[in-house]
Amino acid sequence: MTVIRCQNVTKSYGRNKILNNISFQIDKNKITGVIGPNGVGKTTLLRIIAGYIKKTSGEIKVFSEDPFQSLTVSANTIFISDQMMLPPTLTLSEIIKSSSQFYQNFDIDLAQKLFDYFPLKKVQYYDKLSKGMRSTFQAIIEIAARCPLTIFDEPTTGMDTGVRKDFYRALLKDYIAHPRTILISSHYLNEMEDLLEDVLVLKEGKIRLHLSISEMKEWAIGFRGDETTLHKWIKDNKILHTQEIGKYEKYVVLKNDFSEEQLYQARQDGINISFVSPSDLSVYLTDENRGGIDHVFQ
Amino acid sequence: MTLNDETKPIYVQIAEWLENEILNGNFKPNEKVYSQYQLAEIFTVNPATAAKGLNLLVQENLLYKKRGLGMFVTNHAKDSILEKRKSHTLKRLVYELVIEAKRLNVSEDELINMIHKVSEDVKGESK
Repeated sequence: MTVIRCQNVTKSYGRNKILNNISFQIDKNKITGVIGPNGVGKTTLLRIIAGYIKKTSGEIKVFSEDPFQSLTVSANTIFISDQMMLPPTLTLSEIIKSSSQFYQNFDIDLAQKLFDYFPLKKVQYYDKLSKGMRSTFQAIIEIAARCPLTIFDEPTTGMDTGVRKDFYRALLKDYIAHPRTILISSHYLNEMEDLLEDVLVLKEGKIRLHLSISEMKEWAIGFRGDETTLHKWIKDNKILHTQEIGKYEKYVVLKNDFSEEQLYQARQDGINISFVSPSDLSVYLTDENRGGIDHVFQ
Repeated sequence: MTLNDETKPIYVQIAEWLENEILNGNFKPNEKVYSQYQLAEIFTVNPATAAKGLNLLVQENLLYKKRGLGMFVTNHAKDSILEKRKSHTLKRLVYELVIEAKRLNVSEDELINMIHKVSEDVKGESK
Protein backbone atom coordinates (compact mmCIF):
# COMPACT_ATOMS: atom_id res chain seq x y z
CA MET A 1 0.00 0.00 0.00
CA THR A 2 1.17 3.50 -0.80
CA VAL A 3 1.19 6.02 2.04
CA ILE A 4 2.67 9.01 0.23
CA ARG A 5 2.17 9.77 -3.45
CA CYS A 6 3.80 12.87 -4.91
CA GLN A 7 3.13 13.82 -8.50
CA ASN A 8 4.89 16.72 -10.19
CA VAL A 9 5.05 18.64 -6.95
CA THR A 10 6.64 22.06 -7.12
CA LYS A 11 7.17 24.53 -4.32
CA SER A 12 8.43 28.00 -4.99
CA TYR A 13 8.96 31.09 -2.91
CA GLY A 14 8.80 33.96 -5.37
CA ARG A 15 11.05 33.02 -8.27
CA ASN A 16 12.98 30.59 -6.18
CA LYS A 17 11.98 27.00 -6.90
CA ILE A 18 12.75 24.94 -3.80
CA LEU A 19 11.16 21.75 -5.13
CA ASN A 20 11.05 21.32 -8.87
CA ASN A 21 8.45 18.97 -10.28
CA ILE A 22 9.12 15.94 -8.14
CA SER A 23 7.30 12.61 -8.22
CA PHE A 24 7.71 9.57 -5.99
CA GLN A 25 5.82 7.11 -3.83
CA ILE A 26 6.49 5.80 -0.34
CA ASP A 27 5.11 2.40 0.59
CA LYS A 28 3.57 1.51 3.91
CA ASN A 29 5.79 0.49 6.83
CA LYS A 30 9.10 1.24 5.16
CA ILE A 31 11.89 3.29 6.68
CA THR A 32 13.11 5.75 4.06
CA GLY A 33 16.11 8.06 4.39
CA VAL A 34 15.74 11.48 2.79
CA ILE A 35 19.26 12.46 1.84
CA GLY A 36 20.85 15.53 0.30
CA PRO A 37 23.10 18.48 1.06
CA ASN A 38 21.98 21.56 2.95
CA GLY A 39 19.41 23.75 1.25
CA VAL A 40 18.25 21.14 -1.23
CA GLY A 41 14.63 21.15 -0.10
CA LYS A 42 14.50 18.22 2.32
CA THR A 43 12.73 20.07 5.10
CA THR A 44 10.35 21.78 2.66
CA LEU A 45 9.38 18.41 1.26
CA LEU A 46 8.79 16.97 4.73
CA ARG A 47 6.70 20.00 5.72
CA ILE A 48 4.52 19.59 2.65
CA ILE A 49 4.03 15.89 3.39
CA ALA A 50 3.05 16.67 7.00
CA GLY A 51 0.59 19.29 5.75
CA TYR A 52 2.35 22.22 7.43
CA ILE A 53 2.72 24.18 4.20
CA LYS A 54 1.03 24.17 0.82
CA LYS A 55 2.62 23.01 -2.39
CA THR A 56 2.68 25.51 -5.26
CA SER A 57 1.58 23.04 -7.93
CA GLY A 58 1.26 19.33 -8.60
CA GLU A 59 -0.53 16.69 -6.60
CA ILE A 60 0.29 15.16 -3.25
CA LYS A 61 -1.66 12.50 -1.41
CA VAL A 62 -0.89 11.25 2.07
CA PHE A 63 -3.22 8.48 3.26
CA SER A 64 -5.08 9.25 0.01
CA GLU A 65 -5.76 12.87 1.05
CA ASP A 66 -4.22 16.23 0.32
CA PRO A 67 -2.27 16.70 3.57
CA PHE A 68 -2.83 20.47 3.82
CA GLN A 69 -5.62 21.01 6.36
CA SER A 70 -6.46 17.31 6.48
CA LEU A 71 -7.60 15.94 9.82
CA THR A 72 -6.76 12.37 8.81
CA VAL A 73 -3.20 13.37 7.99
CA SER A 74 -2.62 15.35 11.18
CA ALA A 75 -4.09 12.62 13.38
CA ASN A 76 -1.86 9.99 11.79
CA THR A 77 1.35 11.95 11.29
CA ILE A 78 3.94 13.21 13.71
CA PHE A 79 6.67 15.61 12.70
CA ILE A 80 8.39 17.68 15.34
CA SER A 81 10.66 20.16 13.67
CA ASP A 82 13.07 22.65 15.13
CA GLN A 83 10.84 25.41 13.91
CA MET A 84 8.01 24.13 16.05
CA MET A 85 7.31 26.06 19.23
CA LEU A 86 6.73 23.88 22.25
CA PRO A 87 4.93 25.67 25.08
CA PRO A 88 7.51 27.38 27.33
CA THR A 89 5.27 27.31 30.42
CA LEU A 90 4.91 23.53 30.50
CA THR A 91 7.49 21.21 32.02
CA LEU A 92 8.83 18.35 29.93
CA SER A 93 6.63 15.77 31.60
CA GLU A 94 3.59 18.02 31.11
CA ILE A 95 4.44 18.27 27.41
CA ILE A 96 4.62 14.50 27.17
CA LYS A 97 1.29 14.15 28.95
CA SER A 98 -0.47 16.57 26.64
CA SER A 99 1.16 15.09 23.52
CA SER A 100 -0.24 11.73 24.52
CA GLN A 101 -3.73 13.16 24.28
CA PHE A 102 -3.22 14.08 20.63
CA TYR A 103 -2.09 10.69 19.42
CA GLN A 104 -4.21 7.58 19.64
CA ASN A 105 -1.36 5.07 19.87
CA PHE A 106 0.85 7.12 22.20
CA ASP A 107 2.63 4.84 24.67
CA ILE A 108 3.14 7.01 27.73
CA ASP A 109 4.85 4.20 29.55
CA LEU A 110 7.53 3.92 26.88
CA ALA A 111 7.94 7.70 26.85
CA GLN A 112 8.54 7.70 30.62
CA LYS A 113 11.06 4.87 30.40
CA LEU A 114 13.01 6.56 27.61
CA PHE A 115 12.79 9.79 29.53
CA ASP A 116 14.38 8.21 32.61
CA TYR A 117 16.99 6.37 30.56
CA PHE A 118 18.33 9.39 28.71
CA PRO A 119 18.11 11.25 31.75
CA LEU A 120 16.04 14.34 31.28
CA LYS A 121 14.55 16.01 34.33
CA LYS A 122 10.79 15.96 34.41
CA VAL A 123 10.53 19.47 35.84
CA GLN A 124 12.80 20.99 33.22
CA TYR A 125 11.54 23.38 30.58
CA TYR A 126 12.12 22.81 26.87
CA ASP A 127 13.59 26.28 26.32
CA LYS A 128 16.30 25.60 28.87
CA LEU A 129 17.53 22.41 27.20
CA SER A 130 20.75 22.13 25.22
CA LYS A 131 20.55 21.39 21.49
CA GLY A 132 21.29 17.70 21.94
CA MET A 133 18.78 17.34 24.74
CA ARG A 134 16.07 19.03 22.71
CA SER A 135 16.69 16.55 19.92
CA THR A 136 16.52 13.69 22.41
CA PHE A 137 13.28 14.99 23.87
CA GLN A 138 11.71 15.37 20.42
CA ALA A 139 12.84 11.88 19.47
CA ILE A 140 11.24 10.39 22.59
CA ILE A 141 7.88 11.96 21.76
CA GLU A 142 8.09 10.91 18.13
CA ILE A 143 8.94 7.30 18.91
CA ALA A 144 6.36 6.97 21.70
CA ALA A 145 3.60 8.52 19.54
CA ARG A 146 3.68 5.43 17.28
CA CYS A 147 2.09 7.37 14.44
CA PRO A 148 1.39 5.51 11.19
CA LEU A 149 3.52 8.18 9.51
CA THR A 150 6.51 9.31 11.57
CA ILE A 151 8.78 12.03 10.18
CA PHE A 152 12.18 12.94 11.57
CA ASP A 153 14.09 15.95 10.28
CA GLU A 154 17.75 15.72 11.27
CA PRO A 155 16.77 13.93 14.48
CA THR A 156 20.30 13.51 15.78
CA THR A 157 21.40 17.15 15.61
CA GLY A 158 23.53 17.88 18.66
CA MET A 159 23.23 14.37 20.12
CA ASP A 160 26.50 12.80 21.19
CA THR A 161 27.60 9.52 19.62
CA GLY A 162 26.26 7.36 22.44
CA VAL A 163 22.83 8.96 22.37
CA ARG A 164 22.71 8.72 18.56
CA LYS A 165 23.36 4.98 18.73
CA ASP A 166 20.74 4.53 21.42
CA PHE A 167 18.25 6.56 19.40
CA TYR A 168 18.70 4.41 16.27
CA ARG A 169 18.37 1.24 18.31
CA ALA A 170 15.30 2.46 20.22
CA LEU A 171 13.67 3.47 16.95
CA LEU A 172 14.43 0.12 15.33
CA LYS A 173 13.20 -1.93 18.28
CA ASP A 174 9.96 -0.03 18.49
CA TYR A 175 9.55 -0.21 14.71
CA ILE A 176 9.95 -4.00 14.74
CA ALA A 177 7.32 -4.30 17.47
CA HIS A 178 5.04 -1.67 15.92
CA PRO A 179 5.74 -1.23 12.20
CA ARG A 180 4.98 2.19 10.73
CA THR A 181 6.03 4.36 7.82
CA ILE A 182 9.08 6.38 8.74
CA LEU A 183 10.88 9.19 6.92
CA ILE A 184 14.24 10.36 8.27
CA SER A 185 16.26 13.17 6.80
CA SER A 186 19.88 13.25 7.79
CA HIS A 187 23.41 14.12 6.75
CA TYR A 188 24.76 11.10 8.54
CA LEU A 189 23.82 8.43 6.03
CA ASN A 190 26.75 6.24 7.05
CA GLU A 191 25.60 5.80 10.61
CA MET A 192 21.95 5.17 9.82
CA GLU A 193 22.18 3.27 6.54
CA ASP A 194 21.67 -0.09 8.26
CA LEU A 195 18.40 1.18 9.67
CA LEU A 196 16.98 2.15 6.28
CA GLU A 197 15.13 0.10 3.73
CA ASP A 198 14.96 2.80 1.04
CA VAL A 199 16.81 5.97 0.20
CA LEU A 200 15.53 9.10 -1.51
CA VAL A 201 18.36 11.32 -2.71
CA LEU A 202 17.47 14.95 -3.46
CA LYS A 203 19.53 17.23 -5.64
CA GLU A 204 18.69 20.84 -6.46
CA GLY A 205 15.01 20.39 -5.70
CA LYS A 206 14.72 17.18 -7.70
CA ILE A 207 14.82 13.47 -6.97
CA ARG A 208 18.23 12.20 -8.02
CA LEU A 209 17.72 8.61 -6.91
CA HIS A 210 15.04 6.57 -5.15
CA LEU A 211 15.92 2.95 -4.49
CA SER A 212 16.54 0.39 -1.80
CA ILE A 213 19.67 0.73 0.31
CA SER A 214 20.98 -2.62 -0.94
CA GLU A 215 20.56 -1.53 -4.56
CA MET A 216 22.35 1.68 -3.71
CA LYS A 217 25.30 -0.29 -2.35
CA GLU A 218 25.77 -1.90 -5.74
CA TRP A 219 24.74 1.08 -7.86
CA ALA A 220 28.24 2.48 -8.28
CA ILE A 221 31.74 1.09 -8.26
CA GLY A 222 35.16 2.57 -7.58
CA PHE A 223 38.12 1.94 -9.90
CA ARG A 224 41.66 2.82 -8.93
CA GLY A 225 44.56 2.40 -11.28
CA ASP A 226 46.87 4.17 -13.73
CA GLU A 227 45.20 6.46 -16.20
CA THR A 228 45.78 4.52 -19.44
CA THR A 229 44.37 1.32 -18.03
CA LEU A 230 41.42 3.18 -16.58
CA HIS A 231 40.64 4.76 -19.96
CA LYS A 232 40.43 1.35 -21.52
CA TRP A 233 37.68 0.44 -19.08
CA ILE A 234 35.74 3.64 -18.66
CA LYS A 235 34.72 4.39 -22.29
CA ASP A 236 31.17 5.79 -22.13
CA ASN A 237 30.36 5.07 -18.52
CA LYS A 238 29.29 8.14 -16.66
CA ILE A 239 31.96 9.27 -14.24
CA LEU A 240 30.49 10.41 -10.94
CA HIS A 241 33.66 11.34 -9.17
CA THR A 242 37.37 11.58 -9.91
CA GLN A 243 40.31 11.97 -7.64
CA GLU A 244 44.01 11.99 -8.41
CA ILE A 245 46.09 9.72 -6.26
CA GLY A 246 49.75 10.45 -6.51
CA LYS A 247 51.23 11.21 -9.92
CA TYR A 248 50.07 8.28 -12.00
CA GLU A 249 46.99 6.92 -10.35
CA LYS A 250 43.40 7.98 -10.38
CA TYR A 251 40.34 6.94 -8.49
CA VAL A 252 37.07 7.14 -10.40
CA VAL A 253 33.55 6.29 -9.36
CA LEU A 254 31.30 4.93 -12.11
CA LYS A 255 27.77 3.71 -12.40
CA ASN A 256 28.08 -0.05 -12.06
CA ASP A 257 26.99 -1.47 -15.43
CA PHE A 258 29.77 -4.04 -15.40
CA SER A 259 29.26 -7.78 -15.42
CA GLU A 260 31.09 -10.03 -12.95
CA GLU A 261 33.18 -11.20 -15.90
CA GLN A 262 34.21 -7.65 -16.83
CA LEU A 263 35.10 -6.80 -13.25
CA TYR A 264 37.25 -9.90 -13.10
CA GLN A 265 39.02 -8.84 -16.31
CA ALA A 266 39.54 -5.32 -14.98
CA ARG A 267 41.07 -6.74 -11.82
CA GLN A 268 43.39 -8.84 -13.98
CA ASP A 269 44.42 -5.62 -15.72
CA GLY A 270 45.61 -4.33 -12.38
CA ILE A 271 42.64 -2.14 -11.49
CA ASN A 272 41.78 -2.00 -7.84
CA ILE A 273 38.02 -2.32 -7.51
CA SER A 274 36.02 -1.27 -4.47
CA PHE A 275 32.46 -0.78 -3.36
CA VAL A 276 31.28 2.77 -2.92
CA SER A 277 29.45 3.34 0.34
CA PRO A 278 25.94 4.83 0.04
CA SER A 279 27.13 7.74 2.11
CA ASP A 280 29.99 8.59 -0.28
CA LEU A 281 27.79 7.95 -3.29
CA SER A 282 25.14 10.36 -2.08
CA VAL A 283 27.80 13.04 -1.79
CA TYR A 284 29.15 12.34 -5.30
CA LEU A 285 25.66 12.34 -6.78
CA THR A 286 24.64 15.62 -5.26
CA ASP A 287 28.00 17.15 -6.02
CA GLU A 288 28.26 16.10 -9.67
CA ASN A 289 28.59 19.48 -11.31
CA ARG A 290 30.80 21.10 -8.74
CA GLY A 291 33.58 18.54 -9.00
CA GLY A 292 34.43 18.45 -5.32
CA ILE A 293 36.44 20.62 -2.98
CA ASP A 294 39.74 19.88 -4.77
CA HIS A 295 38.61 22.00 -7.72
CA VAL A 296 38.49 25.09 -5.54
CA PHE A 297 42.21 24.77 -4.96
CA GLN A 298 43.23 24.28 -8.59
CA MET B 1 37.55 7.86 -1.26
CA THR B 2 38.29 5.48 1.55
CA LEU B 3 41.58 3.67 1.14
CA ASN B 4 40.58 0.60 3.10
CA ASP B 5 38.18 -1.42 1.00
CA GLU B 6 34.57 -0.88 1.90
CA THR B 7 33.38 -3.80 3.95
CA LYS B 8 30.87 -6.23 2.56
CA PRO B 9 27.19 -5.31 2.46
CA ILE B 10 25.58 -5.95 5.82
CA TYR B 11 23.21 -8.62 4.48
CA VAL B 12 26.21 -10.62 3.26
CA GLN B 13 27.80 -10.25 6.69
CA ILE B 14 24.61 -11.53 8.31
CA ALA B 15 24.52 -14.50 5.92
CA GLU B 16 28.15 -15.30 6.71
CA TRP B 17 27.50 -15.02 10.43
CA LEU B 18 24.67 -17.54 10.12
CA GLU B 19 26.95 -19.80 8.08
CA ASN B 20 29.50 -19.68 10.88
CA GLU B 21 26.81 -20.58 13.41
CA ILE B 22 25.95 -23.60 11.27
CA LEU B 23 29.64 -24.55 10.91
CA ASN B 24 30.13 -24.29 14.69
CA GLY B 25 27.22 -26.61 15.20
CA ASN B 26 25.14 -23.96 16.97
CA PHE B 27 22.41 -24.68 14.43
CA LYS B 28 21.90 -28.34 13.58
CA PRO B 29 20.21 -29.78 10.48
CA ASN B 30 16.46 -29.14 10.53
CA GLU B 31 16.80 -26.72 13.41
CA LYS B 32 15.05 -23.36 13.21
CA VAL B 33 17.31 -20.32 12.75
CA TYR B 34 16.66 -16.72 13.79
CA SER B 35 13.81 -14.84 12.13
CA GLN B 36 14.43 -11.65 10.15
CA TYR B 37 13.13 -9.66 13.13
CA GLN B 38 15.43 -11.38 15.61
CA LEU B 39 18.39 -10.80 13.28
CA ALA B 40 17.35 -7.17 12.80
CA GLU B 41 17.49 -6.72 16.57
CA ILE B 42 20.77 -8.54 17.02
CA PHE B 43 22.55 -6.45 14.40
CA THR B 44 20.49 -3.23 14.61
CA VAL B 45 19.55 -3.37 10.94
CA ASN B 46 16.36 -2.96 8.98
CA PRO B 47 14.32 -6.20 8.95
CA ALA B 48 14.28 -6.07 5.12
CA THR B 49 18.08 -6.19 5.13
CA ALA B 50 18.06 -9.14 7.53
CA ALA B 51 15.54 -10.91 5.28
CA LYS B 52 17.90 -10.42 2.36
CA GLY B 53 20.63 -12.21 4.28
CA LEU B 54 18.29 -15.13 5.03
CA ASN B 55 17.15 -15.31 1.41
CA LEU B 56 20.75 -15.52 0.27
CA LEU B 57 21.07 -18.74 2.28
CA VAL B 58 17.74 -20.05 0.95
CA GLN B 59 18.97 -19.49 -2.61
CA GLU B 60 22.07 -21.50 -1.82
CA ASN B 61 19.95 -24.28 -0.34
CA LEU B 62 21.50 -23.89 3.07
CA LEU B 63 18.16 -22.96 4.61
CA TYR B 64 14.62 -23.94 3.70
CA LYS B 65 11.35 -22.20 4.42
CA LYS B 66 8.39 -23.68 6.20
CA ARG B 67 5.42 -21.50 5.53
CA GLY B 68 4.38 -19.67 8.69
CA LEU B 69 6.99 -21.41 10.81
CA GLY B 70 10.29 -19.89 9.77
CA MET B 71 13.60 -20.92 8.24
CA PHE B 72 15.36 -24.20 8.94
CA VAL B 73 18.84 -25.60 8.28
CA THR B 74 19.03 -28.12 5.43
CA ASN B 75 20.65 -31.51 5.94
CA HIS B 76 23.68 -30.86 3.80
CA ALA B 77 24.17 -27.20 4.84
CA LYS B 78 27.38 -27.73 6.77
CA ASP B 79 29.07 -29.68 3.96
CA SER B 80 27.94 -27.17 1.35
CA ILE B 81 29.36 -24.27 3.35
CA LEU B 82 32.70 -26.03 3.77
CA GLU B 83 32.79 -26.80 0.05
CA LYS B 84 31.83 -23.24 -0.88
CA ARG B 85 34.42 -21.66 1.38
CA LYS B 86 37.09 -23.89 -0.09
CA SER B 87 36.23 -23.26 -3.71
CA HIS B 88 35.44 -19.53 -3.34
CA THR B 89 36.87 -17.86 -0.26
CA LEU B 90 40.09 -19.80 -0.11
CA LYS B 91 40.59 -19.51 -3.87
CA ARG B 92 40.16 -15.74 -3.69
CA LEU B 93 42.61 -15.44 -0.81
CA VAL B 94 45.15 -17.49 -2.73
CA TYR B 95 44.57 -15.30 -5.78
CA GLU B 96 45.28 -12.17 -3.77
CA LEU B 97 48.35 -13.82 -2.28
CA VAL B 98 49.72 -14.68 -5.73
CA ILE B 99 49.09 -11.16 -7.05
CA GLU B 100 50.84 -9.59 -4.08
CA ALA B 101 53.78 -12.01 -4.46
CA LYS B 102 54.08 -11.05 -8.12
CA ARG B 103 54.09 -7.38 -7.22
CA LEU B 104 56.93 -8.01 -4.75
CA ASN B 105 58.90 -10.19 -7.19
CA VAL B 106 58.55 -13.20 -4.93
CA SER B 107 59.00 -16.36 -6.97
CA GLU B 108 56.56 -19.25 -6.88
CA ASP B 109 59.03 -21.47 -5.03
CA GLU B 110 59.72 -18.78 -2.48
CA LEU B 111 56.00 -18.33 -1.92
CA ILE B 112 55.41 -22.03 -1.47
CA ASN B 113 58.27 -22.18 1.01
CA MET B 114 56.69 -19.35 2.95
CA ILE B 115 53.40 -21.22 3.05
CA HIS B 116 55.17 -24.35 4.31
CA LYS B 117 56.88 -22.35 7.01
CA VAL B 118 53.65 -20.73 8.24
CA SER B 119 51.93 -24.08 8.10
CA GLU B 120 54.65 -25.61 10.32
CA ASP B 121 54.42 -22.70 12.76
CA VAL B 122 50.67 -23.13 13.04
CA LYS B 123 51.07 -26.86 13.69
CA GLY B 124 53.66 -26.07 16.38
CA GLU B 125 51.33 -23.60 18.07
CA SER B 126 48.44 -25.99 18.24
CA LYS B 127 50.57 -28.69 19.92
